[in-house]
Amino acid sequence: MSLRRVVSSPVVASLVFAAVVSFVTLPQSRAADATLPDWVVAAAAAKLPNYPSETNAVVLAEDITYTVDSHGQATERHRKAIKILRPQGRDDAIVHVNYDKDTKLKELHVWSISPDGHSFEVKKDEFLDVSFGEGILYDDEKYRVVQPAGSDPGGIIAYEYVQQMRPYVTETTWEFQDDLPHRDESFTLVLPQGYSYTDSWAHYARMQGADLEKQSYRWQLTNVPATDLEHVSAAPHAVALNGRLTLHYTGPGLQWGDTSTWQGVGQWYQQLLQERIQPTPEIQAKAQELTAGKTDFADKTAAIANFMLREVRYFDVEIGVGGYQPHYAGEIFHNRYGDCKDKATLLSSMLSAVGIHSTLVLVDSRRGAIDPSAPSTYGNHAIAAIEIPQGYQSPRLQSVVQAENGKRYLIFDPTWENISFGQLEDNLQGSYGVLVEGAASQVIQLPTLAPKWSTVRRTGVFELGADGTMNGDVVVKRFGGASEEWRYFYSRADEREQTDSLHRGLAGDFPAFQTSDLKVQNVKALDQDLVTTYHIRVDHFGRTMGSLLMLRPRVLGHIGLPIDTRPRTIPIDMGHAYELTDDFTIKLPPGYTADDLPDPVKLDVDFASYSSNTQINGNTLHYTRTYTVRELTLPADKYPEYKHLAGVIGADEVSNAVLKKQ
Amino acid sequence: MLRTPVCRLFSAALAALLLAPVAAHADPWITPTPEELSMTSQPEVPGAAAVYLNRDEVTDDKLHAFIIYARIKVLTEKGKEFANVELPYVKESDGSGISVTSIEGRTIHADGTIIPFTGKPYDKLIEKGKDHKYMAKVFSLPDVQVGSIVEYRYQRQLDDHWFQAPSWYIQSDLFTRKAHYIWRPTNEQLIDSRHGGLTSAIAWAPVLPKGTEVKMTKTPDTGLQQGQRTLELTATNVPPMPEEDHMAPVHSLSYRVLFYYTAYTTTQEYWKSEGKDWSKMHDKFIGPGKHVKEFTQQLVAPGDTSEQKLRKMYAAVEELENTDYTRQRSATEEKREGLRRIESADDVLTDKRGSSDQLNDLFVAMARAAGFKAYVAAIADRGKRVFNINFLSLGQLDDDIAIVNVDGKEQYFDPGTRYMPYGHLSWHHGGSSGLRQVDGGTERADPPSESYAFSHVQRLADLTLDEAGVAKGSVTLVFTGEPAVTWRHQLLAGDETSLKEKLKESMEEMLPEGAEVTVTSIANATAYEQPLTISYRISTPVGSAAGKRVLVPSDIFLVKERPSFTQEKRETMIYFEYPEYTQDACRFHYPAAWAMESAPAELRSLYQKSMLYHIHSTPATGFVTVQRDMLMGDFLYPTEEYPQIRTYFSQFETKDQEPIIFKVGGSTAAGGN
Repeated sequence: MSLRRVVSSPVVASLVFAAVVSFVTLPQSRAADATLPDWVVAAAAAKLPNYPSETNAVVLAEDITYTVDSHGQATERHRKAIKILRPQGRDDAIVHVNYDKDTKLKELHVWSISPDGHSFEVKKDEFLDVSFGEGILYDDEKYRVVQPAGSDPGGIIAYEYVQQMRPYVTETTWEFQDDLPHRDESFTLVLPQGYSYTDSWAHYARMQGADLEKQSYRWQLTNVPATDLEHVSAAPHAVALNGRLTLHYTGPGLQWGDTSTWQGVGQWYQQLLQERIQPTPEIQAKAQELTAGKTDFADKTAAIANFMLREVRYFDVEIGVGGYQPHYAGEIFHNRYGDCKDKATLLSSMLSAVGIHSTLVLVDSRRGAIDPSAPSTYGNHAIAAIEIPQGYQSPRLQSVVQAENGKRYLIFDPTWENISFGQLEDNLQGSYGVLVEGAASQVIQLPTLAPKWSTVRRTGVFELGADGTMNGDVVVKRFGGASEEWRYFYSRADEREQTDSLHRGLAGDFPAFQTSDLKVQNVKALDQDLVTTYHIRVDHFGRTMGSLLMLRPRVLGHIGLPIDTRPRTIPIDMGHAYELTDDFTIKLPPGYTADDLPDPVKLDVDFASYSSNTQINGNTLHYTRTYTVRELTLPADKYPEYKHLAGVIGADEVSNAVLKKQ
Repeated sequence: MLRTPVCRLFSAALAALLLAPVAAHADPWITPTPEELSMTSQPEVPGAAAVYLNRDEVTDDKLHAFIIYARIKVLTEKGKEFANVELPYVKESDGSGISVTSIEGRTIHADGTIIPFTGKPYDKLIEKGKDHKYMAKVFSLPDVQVGSIVEYRYQRQLDDHWFQAPSWYIQSDLFTRKAHYIWRPTNEQLIDSRHGGLTSAIAWAPVLPKGTEVKMTKTPDTGLQQGQRTLELTATNVPPMPEEDHMAPVHSLSYRVLFYYTAYTTTQEYWKSEGKDWSKMHDKFIGPGKHVKEFTQQLVAPGDTSEQKLRKMYAAVEELENTDYTRQRSATEEKREGLRRIESADDVLTDKRGSSDQLNDLFVAMARAAGFKAYVAAIADRGKRVFNINFLSLGQLDDDIAIVNVDGKEQYFDPGTRYMPYGHLSWHHGGSSGLRQVDGGTERADPPSESYAFSHVQRLADLTLDEAGVAKGSVTLVFTGEPAVTWRHQLLAGDETSLKEKLKESMEEMLPEGAEVTVTSIANATAYEQPLTISYRISTPVGSAAGKRVLVPSDIFLVKERPSFTQEKRETMIYFEYPEYTQDACRFHYPAAWAMESAPAELRSLYQKSMLYHIHSTPATGFVTVQRDMLMGDFLYPTEEYPQIRTYFSQFETKDQEPIIFKVGGSTAAGGN
């Protein structure tokens, strides 16, 4: 993913703590305390409400002043004071500010007050500048970081910085909610004469800003609660829940477009994209070569899409505006690598060379992050929308949306090489994105595919010995979204890693087992089932007790819906819509008949269903089950049904059959 | 790193100027063979992402340069990542350091098509601080496909007048078909940049596969000029480093040759001399100074036995803040508090805090002040590495422990490990090796490992089953030794709330899904000489239906236990952190309408007198109790024993999963034993 936006990185804390613990030693003598700015003193003196004992730290005050000059260039002054409440809050008190060549840090001052009342100011030479290294070859974005003195429970950390803002955007986003409670916070917008603004609120009720006169406006919030997901299972991503305010401004002389509407966001990106997407002769030649002899729309499109998936690898180089703007299509084609927006751009360029129109869709890989009621450039990923000719139908094209003007688009992610052309990866399904289509740009909801396009089908044929040892062969077929991660894994893992992975899964079902003949087929054949087969021998699968023999009809495979015991207040993320079937046949030792069999199970809770059945036919036990997830996200009030479903599945998975020797 | 004496500066710099252009272009690219172009796998590592066809490194002291060449065959999608190259280098605050130059690269497709790397490497800042700047040259080779050979070469260039002995790490994450290393060391006399001493000899610590060795040749001396020494190593078909569960820290023993310039001619001479400096440094810190002496005098009573004195001193040190578990303060902070930079055991006592090693030295200082013969030992952390005496580096000694002669017998202490009971050693230190002080010098230290009796876990459950198969009741966990220390360290890392949360999560991870767990009390959280006792209330579904029967796991602490050894083959020794003794007792009261049909039969099993497993059931009217003991007597087992150990574990782990079977509404007589 490569569109940049996020201000803080969770990796910073651990990286930095190790880096900043060694300080230069100085001569001994009791030094005078640092002089603190008035706003820090005021923030530190304020009385706090009672917070739950799990609260690591609290943001005492956060004030941002965003000033746009008469040339449209913006500067931000940011003040923040944090009080550490628990030892774990030390990580929250690490100060880190991101910057790059377009967002230069003009000032950074950091103060702190230790629990025993001493005050400090960090010296310039105590800061570290660190790059975002992991997984990115080159990105000029860095962060300046320090862990101030006095970072202990009861201590207060405060900082202020002034930063130049990006010249090619005309909006700013105030992320006023995160995993810490915020006591007082405000955002002030200062515009030059002739400018105006609009606001959009994501995941939060709209609030009118105060007019401070002279083109200044302020929004103030108090006691914004934390989004605490630490002990919440099946939780959406925090950015799908956190409130944020985006302010769009426009005025005379601004080069870059207004992004206060989704149409505006699309047009803004079109400015960055349009010259980069032009096909070179080499691109045209390759596109013609790939589609030679093909007349069907899907065939032609798939040929180029598959080229993108197989021949152009994901690789990230970002400098300044490169966080938003793709490289030139010709450059990407030559190198055969690029990041998400590069790959989508080259795809679009190649398609245009054979007369197929397509464009980019700006999305976020964290479902729910983009709020359709809050236009903004917020997002972290780019994919493609390929226009489908009017009246054209093909069962291969499942990930299809219809725009307001009636045009249909196939939504396709050329970065994610483990999902078949015509489908869409799980984490993007159901989320929103901006269709970059000039004046027809708009927000679209990406499709949620039916469960039948994401399937797991396990079959096992086993034979149980009289001593309880079971031998058998297992076939697992995965398709669509349910095969994504496995295709990724199997395309990269060596034989040992593949076997280890199989064993890790089986270890949840059997205390002692051996496998052999593991085979994996169709890893790259995305339009076919990914097939895994293996032989298994399980010791003591059947347990004899006198004339009785007990065994678990659900031989292997665990659904395992995670559940919490605390009251549920946030939506439930089901992961993906899919269908699972198990079909296990166990040939029993001679002379055994059923004494007790698990009762059939059948449950339908709208968003999902589960059924299972165990039968004895002659000397064969047959177990089948089907689990279907139909919805991606559930409201919190569905939690009782969710828990009930989890309980029913859990009970069925451990139920036993009792056989009696005749 | 070492540098030349001033008088040698000119000659070294001149040699670099004269020879650099020739050497930089001396080696052409290796022409791929048809087999290399067409290969799709390497039989020794089936499914591997990539293999090194060649790894070459030439270290030429005259050039102050390392010339490195890598050829990699890409075999899978994952292997394409090896086309992304990041070459780190360092810039010191004075402008000196290592630079990376002369980068060239190319991609060769399986059909032989060559695509040269024509781009410019990016200069990437990794981290910049007051006195350091870590950078990297980064680039990606073009048009890489599965089946491509990617190759690149570059030079790591030291500043003039600086020399660095090479370290040849022959074993990597990839299989290596051929590795070839050359070092042409300087004949100059050098100054050690750390100690300032003169040195001209070279030495090396090899860990190499059988049949592979470093060969040294020398050209004849000519007049006053010494001949050129050349050290060379060729290794073929080097396997990648193994990755296995329960693995000792053998990465420190991967195939390698670590060279150094040295003033010493033997290993013994190195340890004796360096050990002397190390010991002197500690003795200077320890003192004991006036403050330690006075404090110790007040702490102990004249009539105290040796043990009573040492216990008082140990407790006093353990009371102090160990900043390795909390937070080191900056000099500015200490200055504000009127504290000084810690330079002695007296300072530690004054500040009432110190690092693990500083607290250890304080304990030794107090022991000496009380009249004991007390010594410091520096030990390799057994969780990180295996001490190698042939590797001439004090850097492998991670932590300090204390040795005190108590009434004629030496005892080991670990006051630097917070909450370690008196007279015991952390598993990181016991069973490892290192260097220790003795009267008049230093010797190798081999502190003993703790026995299984030290680390003891008791898990007791008293539960009542209802007719829906839900068990409710109390659970008590009692920890001593290492498990207790581990939990107490959790408290240091957080607070009581977080400790409770982690204890709760830990219990939930053991019990079936849907368990409701409440921590009701934590006893002796910081009383480290006492057992740590945790009490819970739990409610958990445990009964699974089988028609008119209900099955209940016999040991609820093992419901989610997974087999320890699933791999059929093993390459490395089997390694556990420490010997341990775990005892479980689960009592289930069951409804009157139920009858117990079966419970696990007794099994007692020994493995070579170092492991013991015992499980048995005791039925009674209305309830049944299952008791399970597992004793692990050692922490290291040879690879050859893997099949037997795997079988042993499989047997008892299967037995652990045997349920108690109840018949609903039945009248079957109670079984079990």
